[in-house]
Amino acid sequence: MRQAGIYSGILSHRTGPHSLPLSRIKKIMRHSGSDSKAMMIAGEAPLVFSKACEIFIQELTARAYEITVLGRRRTLQKDDIATAITVTDLFDFLLQVVPESADAGDGAAPAAGGRPIDDACELLL
Amino acid sequence: MEPMDIVGKSKEDVSLPKATMFKIIKEMLPPDVRVARDTQDLLVDCCVEFINLVSSESNEVCNREDKRTIAPEHVLKALEVLGFGDYIEEVYAAYEQHRLETLDSPKGGRFSGIEMTEEEAAAEQQRMFAEARARMNNGVTLQKQPELDQVESRKADNEEI
Repeated sequence: MRQAGIYSGILSHRTGPHSLPLSRIKKIMRHSGSDSKAMMIAGEAPLVFSKACEIFIQELTARAYEITVLGRRRTLQKDDIATAITVTDLFDFLLQVVPESADAGDGAAPAAGGRPIDDACELLL
Repeated sequence: MEPMDIVGKSKEDVSLPKATMFKIIKEMLPPDVRVARDTQDLLVDCCVEFINLVSSESNEVCNREDKRTIAPEHVLKALEVLGFGDYIEEVYAAYEQHRLETLDSPKGGRFSGIEMTEEEAAAEQQRMFAEARARMNNGVTLQKQPELDQVESRKADNEEI
C-alpha cells in the first residue's frame, strides 16, 4: 500500500495512519519547557504539533532528496540532510543538531564538477 | 535529585517512533530511493528539535497573552513567528477536520442517539420500558392490571357509541 510520489504527502490531508503519537509529543513539549515553569498544554495542542511535525519532516526530506539527486545517488544520506539544513535559512535552528555540516573544511579545495552545496544554493535559494 | 532527572529524561523518553517517522519519510521519496539508518535517526532528532523550538515559542506567545495553557492558537502563532507560516493553513485544516471528527463520535458514553437510527432508538426505548415493567411486575403485582381494565372498558364504551 505504498503511495509513491514526492508531493503526495504535502497535498493530502491525512492525519490518520501516519500521525505522530500525541503522548510522545506531549512529553517532548514538557521536556523542552524551562525548569521553573510547568507548561499547561491544552488537549488539542499536541495534535497541531503532530501535523506541523509531519509537514516539517516532509519538507526537510524533500530538500535533502534534492541534494541526493544532485549527487546522482539513490540513497538519502546524513550529509544530504546536513547540506539541506545549511542552505535553508529556516532550518538554522537545526545547525546544532547535525554533527558536522557538509560545508565544514571544504573551503580550500573545490571538488571537480562543482560542490553539491553550491548547486544546492542555486537550486533552493 | 539531579541525577534522577537525567535518568528520567533519557533519549527514549523524548524521541518519536522511528516506524512512523520512516513512513512519513518514505512517502516523500520515489519508491526506489533508500534511506540510510543514521539518516532516519537524524531526521528524528531534527523533528524533536523542531518541537522544542516551537514549544518554547508557543510558551512565549502564551505568556504574552497572559494565558496559563498553551492552546492551538498559540502554536499557530508561534509557527508564524518562527517563519513556518506556510504550514499554518494545512495544520489548521487538519486540526479543524479532527475537531469535526471527534464531535461526531460518541465520546464520554453519552446516549446522543447518533450511533443509532431513530427506529433503533425507539426500539431501544421500548426495550428499556419493557425491562422496567418487568421489574415492577416482579416487585409489586396487580398494579398495572386495573389500568388495563379501565382502558379496555373505555374502548368498549367507544365502540358501542
